[in-house]
Amino acid sequence: MIEEVFSVKLPVEETLKLKRNRFNPPDITKSTKRISIVTGTHGDELEGQYVCYLLIKWLRENPKKIKGIVDIYPSMNPMGIDSISRNFPFYDVDLNRSFPGHTADFLPAQVANAIVETVKGSDFAIDIHASNIFLKELPQIRISRSNAHDLVPLAEKLGIDFIWVHDAVTVLESTFSHALNSIGTKTLVVEMGVGMRITKEYGENLAKGILNFMAYAGIIDEPMHPCKTSVSTQNSSVHFINASDAGIFIPTLEHNVMVKKGEKLGEIIDPLEGVIKESLLSPCDGLLFTIREYPVVYEGSLLARILENPCEVNE
Amino acid sequence: MREEILCEITSLSREPLRIKGFRFGTPNSKPSCVIVGPLTGTAIDQLWVASRLVRFLRQQELENPAFIKGEILVVPAVNPYSFNMGKSFWPMDNTDIDAMFPGYDKGESTQRIAAKLFEKINHFEYAVVLEARKDRAECIPYVKVLKTGYEDVNEAQAFGLDFIHYKEPTPSDTVSLNYNWQIWNAKSFSIISGKKGTLRKIESTKVFDALIRFLSKKGMIDYAAFEGAVGNVITSEDMEVVKSNAAGLFDALAPIGEHVVHGQPLARIYNALDGSLLQTIIAPCEGIVSCKYDYPLIFQNAVAFRIIKLEK
Ligand SMILES: [Zn+2]
Repeated sequence: MIEEVFSVKLPVEETLKLKRNRFNPPDITKSTKRISIVTGTHGDELEGQYVCYLLIKWLRENPKKIKGIVDIYPSMNPMGIDSISRNFPFYDVDLNRSFPGHTADFLPAQVANAIVETVKGSDFAIDIHASNIFLKELPQIRISRSNAHDLVPLAEKLGIDFIWVHDAVTVLESTFSHALNSIGTKTLVVEMGVGMRITKEYGENLAKGILNFMAYAGIIDEPMHPCKTSVSTQNSSVHFINASDAGIFIPTLEHNVMVKKGEKLGEIIDPLEGVIKESLLSPCDGLLFTIREYPVVYEGSLLARILENPCEVNE
Repeated sequence: MREEILCEITSLSREPLRIKGFRFGTPNSKPSCVIVGPLTGTAIDQLWVASRLVRFLRQQELENPAFIKGEILVVPAVNPYSFNMGKSFWPMDNTDIDAMFPGYDKGESTQRIAAKLFEKINHFEYAVVLEARKDRAECIPYVKVLKTGYEDVNEAQAFGLDFIHYKEPTPSDTVSLNYNWQIWNAKSFSIISGKKGTLRKIESTKVFDALIRFLSKKGMIDYAAFEGAVGNVITSEDMEVVKSNAAGLFDALAPIGEHVVHGQPLARIYNALDGSLLQTIIAPCEGIVSCKYDYPLIFQNAVAFRIIKLEK
């Protein structure tokens, strides 16, 4: 059932509406589990659109197998999605830095507040992002260290390539996942693919993983598929490779490959002088899981991330 | 006056981004005050104030070399690239430099800019940053002091502005320049004023005068400034947020700084197509309009005004 969860009138003949599609069994009791799938907070990240489509298609085709409440929110920033705008248009504010929000604050913060109020009470939430237009990412779940104990075992059920446990930065307290985790909804953040694009294979795998997760959580009645093993950063480290000069980045490698220490990752070239300004070499053996997609770089631009000595998460 | 480049970062196709600093006082004297102009490229009022401050200090110092006590550093603009493109944030990835402090010298471009700049400006006794409001609003000039445990809110009274907002930091405040100065032991303040993208000379003059008064009162310049206001310390509880119920064309009736009484009309909102009156926004309390929504089209539930309440 499609429901409107927030609406606000816009100045000229339009209403901004946030919508969800809810699936639930005929009778709901106190023990009925609820999951919320949220995406489109950043208007330039579209990978989650395909995942929502696949999940809803499955739920429509298998109504008898639905044992819990499934809420799917494809578009948390509708004007952003329609205008290739990462931020909330008009205010130019990053919605995912505006949580938990407040009704007495400016509109993006009111939208954030409305999202929290409506998702609140879910047992689980999955927030799907698509990196940004600059970086292409292997599907991964990001978990801040303080939540690792609770969330890593859940993340494994998604059968996603890898789980990145990171040290939290205070600014991340303004994200959707922090807001929901701090009120008791176990929330996982997925990053995959690249901004403004849909990677079908990633979408299909994640949709399968979410169904698997829902079967595990008793939200759908479906035998669990064996989980693809994920790698974790719990006991290994991530190396960042940033540009030390401005120029055009030409990668030499595709992402999602194992690299050797000293192997060339790419070059920064100067199209006016016709010279190579910097050669980027891998600082370690490991998995190249992030690669820059957008060629123009400044000093500091992130070019790649490598997971050193990936170790498998126990099944 | 000594002019120097505090931070430089190269570009593929443009001239390098250079952040310039103007240093006053005898070399190697005690670092007394740093004043940083706008970190965003649409804060024109703040750029105007900072550049006039450089001119004023230069002229005074030329006339009287002992004019400056200690050392004063003015950084008029942190983000020339954005100014030159009419953008608020870093042109390529739209990140806000004022959300990157204390910075990270191995991080992304704006983190590196913040790190390079912070290293040059974090050892002064007093530190002031000039800010425009982040939302679409126009406001009276006021001082913002963040509650970090290291602050001294009474010091802000030396600016002589009417109001001092004593604010509980949010997660995003913790990565601002103001907050990080305080953590690194500077007595730090933001002065917030005006409206993005315009030049408001009357409010800007108040900010300029406040800076001169502050430097004079703290004995950092040899100058007789006029007395200002006492500086009322207010917190979020003293603020009344007035929202719109309707959406449409927004016609504000009350200007910022106006003393309004309960029941007074503050603005009208009209249907954008047929012109019918949809709402008259009424003041819910007596007080001073500190902040007014600044765009002629308004969303439903937008914050239209903030009033500093008179009754407690
Ligand atoms: Zn995102």
